[in-house]
Amino acid sequence: MTGDAATILIVEDEPPIRRLLRTTLGAHDYRTHEAATGAETLVALHQHQPDLVLLDLGLPDVDGLSLIGDIRKQSPVPIVVLSSRGDEAAKVTALDSGADDYVTKPFGADELLARIRAALRHRLQEQGAERSFASGDLSVDLVRRLVRRGAEDVKLSPKEYDILEQLVIHAGKVLTHKHLLRAVWRNEAVDPQYLRVYVRQLRQKIEADPSTPTHVLTEPGIGYRLV
Amino acid sequence: MNFIAAADVERARLPVTSSDAMDNVTGRPPRSAHSVGPYVEGILTAGLATAVGAVINIYVGLANVSLIYVVPVLVAAVRHGLAPSLWVSGLSVLCFNFFFLPPLYHFAIADPANVVALFFFMVVAIVASALGTRTRAQAEAARREAHTNAELYAFSGKIAGVIELDDLLWIVVTQLARLLNAEVAILLPDKARQLELRAAFPPDSELAEAGLAAAREAWESDRPANGNWLFVPIRTSRSPIGIVGILALGEGRALSSAERQLLEAVGNQTAVAIERVSLAQDIDQARLGAERERLRSSMLTSVSHDLRTPLASITGALSSLRSHGQRYDEPTRQELLGTALSEAERLDRFVGNLLDMTRLDAGAIQPKREPVEVGDLVSTALRRAQPVLKGRAVSSSVEPRLAPLSLDFVLAEQVLFNLLDNAAKYSPSGGRIELSARRVGDAVEIAVRDEGPGIAPEALDHLFEKFYRADAGDRRRAGTGLGLAIAKGFVEAQGGTIAARNRVARSGAEFIVRYPASPA
Repeated sequence: MTGDAATILIVEDEPPIRRLLRTTLGAHDYRTHEAATGAETLVALHQHQPDLVLLDLGLPDVDGLSLIGDIRKQSPVPIVVLSSRGDEAAKVTALDSGADDYVTKPFGADELLARIRAALRHRLQEQGAERSFASGDLSVDLVRRLVRRGAEDVKLSPKEYDILEQLVIHAGKVLTHKHLLRAVWRNEAVDPQYLRVYVRQLRQKIEADPSTPTHVLTEPGIGYRLV
Repeated sequence: MNFIAAADVERARLPVTSSDAMDNVTGRPPRSAHSVGPYVEGILTAGLATAVGAVINIYVGLANVSLIYVVPVLVAAVRHGLAPSLWVSGLSVLCFNFFFLPPLYHFAIADPANVVALFFFMVVAIVASALGTRTRAQAEAARREAHTNAELYAFSGKIAGVIELDDLLWIVVTQLARLLNAEVAILLPDKARQLELRAAFPPDSELAEAGLAAAREAWESDRPANGNWLFVPIRTSRSPIGIVGILALGEGRALSSAERQLLEAVGNQTAVAIERVSLAQDIDQARLGAERERLRSSMLTSVSHDLRTPLASITGALSSLRSHGQRYDEPTRQELLGTALSEAERLDRFVGNLLDMTRLDAGAIQPKREPVEVGDLVSTALRRAQPVLKGRAVSSSVEPRLAPLSLDFVLAEQVLFNLLDNAAKYSPSGGRIELSARRVGDAVEIAVRDEGPGIAPEALDHLFEKFYRADAGDRRRAGTGLGLAIAKGFVEAQGGTIAARNRVARSGAEFIVRYPASPA
């Protein structure tokens, strides 16, 4: 990659993990800056104007969740959260308070890079990039409102399409139940049961085998992700 | 010897006799104390005897009419005690003299022989009074003893089955308070051998500082201490147990000797019961301690084995790559890296299991129920289990149109993951693992089957215990010994059941999770 490679701010208090992230991301031509505390994060954010923040939720000096709020006050920069398994509630709160995605520790390099790419892509899309998605036999064109499985057109109901549209806009990123309810029903107090029913119907139409979905994946306790 | 009847009635208001006071023993008001009844009855019976004597005298001409008067004397002695019977004796002497000894209808005696007869009659009457009274007292004592025994029997019955110390103490204080008509307190030594108030009736009964000091004095000297309260040490043959405090109700009332005996008997029984309860608790504690010790040692074994084994592989692979990386060909390098990675993943699962187990043990598992699509659940678990299922043929079948279950998705997914992990562990390479879900009656059954060696009969009962492993020693499979215990804990936290059995048609184990189907 050239000089326009994305800049990533690594916020992590454990030096070994910081080193691992620096090495891995550097090997994929990302430029990195590092911060170990909440205060350093806000300074670095201002100083380096990163394209993405990789944020460990377990910082020593500040609650990771409130740091997300502080970052959001300054910048719309994509935030990918690093957290541990078994803390689904914190992940949902982080996502609902402005984080873009999460990676569960311990993570593999492939998974981490995929999350980072998805978060960066979304930023590009918001800047007017093409609004389409293709993976395996599934292709979606949001401009022409076309959904195809293989060579066949798929007919979706308006709600099914709205859900798929959200998933495509944020392709590769996890979407919380609350996010989908807000975006599709314009009301996050709607019973998530409706969402489940529509997701099931959507899977019936776009998945080759709806009982083992390969595109619309469930993130236990959190939401859905389109891959 | 000129008595006037009116004056005799006055004497009926005598102070309470000693035999009447005896009724105080059981704390009930004495029967017929201060009553004129027995004395009026005495007048009537003496009169009746006189009338009967007169009738007999007319028809038969009896020489010893005086014998008839023995009857009312004995009746009074047996029925009412010494004083009424002496009263009847006096009346009888007067009546006999007045109505039957010449000169008739005068309190004078003409014949000296009759003076002697009258004297001996008096002696007989007094002796009969005394004998009758003693008989009465003995009967009374026997009745009291029977009553006390019945109370003690009832008391020991009440405390026999009690296993909680507080329940036991409460029964003792309430019973003693009733039996002795008193306020009751029980003081027991705490762990530092300091006496403390453990139970009292009435419950708000308070021992002043002075009372506590007296109780401690009784405890230290092992002798009763008397103050406002009476403090009596209770003990078993083995050791002193504590102190019972009694404050008899009623102005200045002290316990009678019979009450003291009752207190002693109840105290002895109480001491034995307290000792029994605390011994039982000690045994429970010891058993619990042994169980904890067993768990701790198997946990240590498991942790050191299950943490060290993957760490050894990881360290070995990485150090080997670092020192000799250039000398290995690419496939060897990939193999070493693959080993390090999969062992690190195993380590992660083990730590995850330890955390899950800790959360279960701490009772911190609170299912967040939501409607869960069984197919979604199965496919999510299969997707996450992919790395551990490598090299196994996996098939899944979910009955179409199963209604969603009310479950915690994260917990339910972890259950299936652990079962798949377990199945992979015991499957031969290339073995088939089947995952199926179907509705059976009021439940949805999710089954995981493998083609491994199956479960030894003696292992079936222990399969879901913490740190239990079907193979001991070197033969044991790499694993935590926690996966199935966690699965069971998570299933039960969501209101389901889990069972294991051997497959019938072929070798292999089958784990069946049943969740209640949500009402449609």
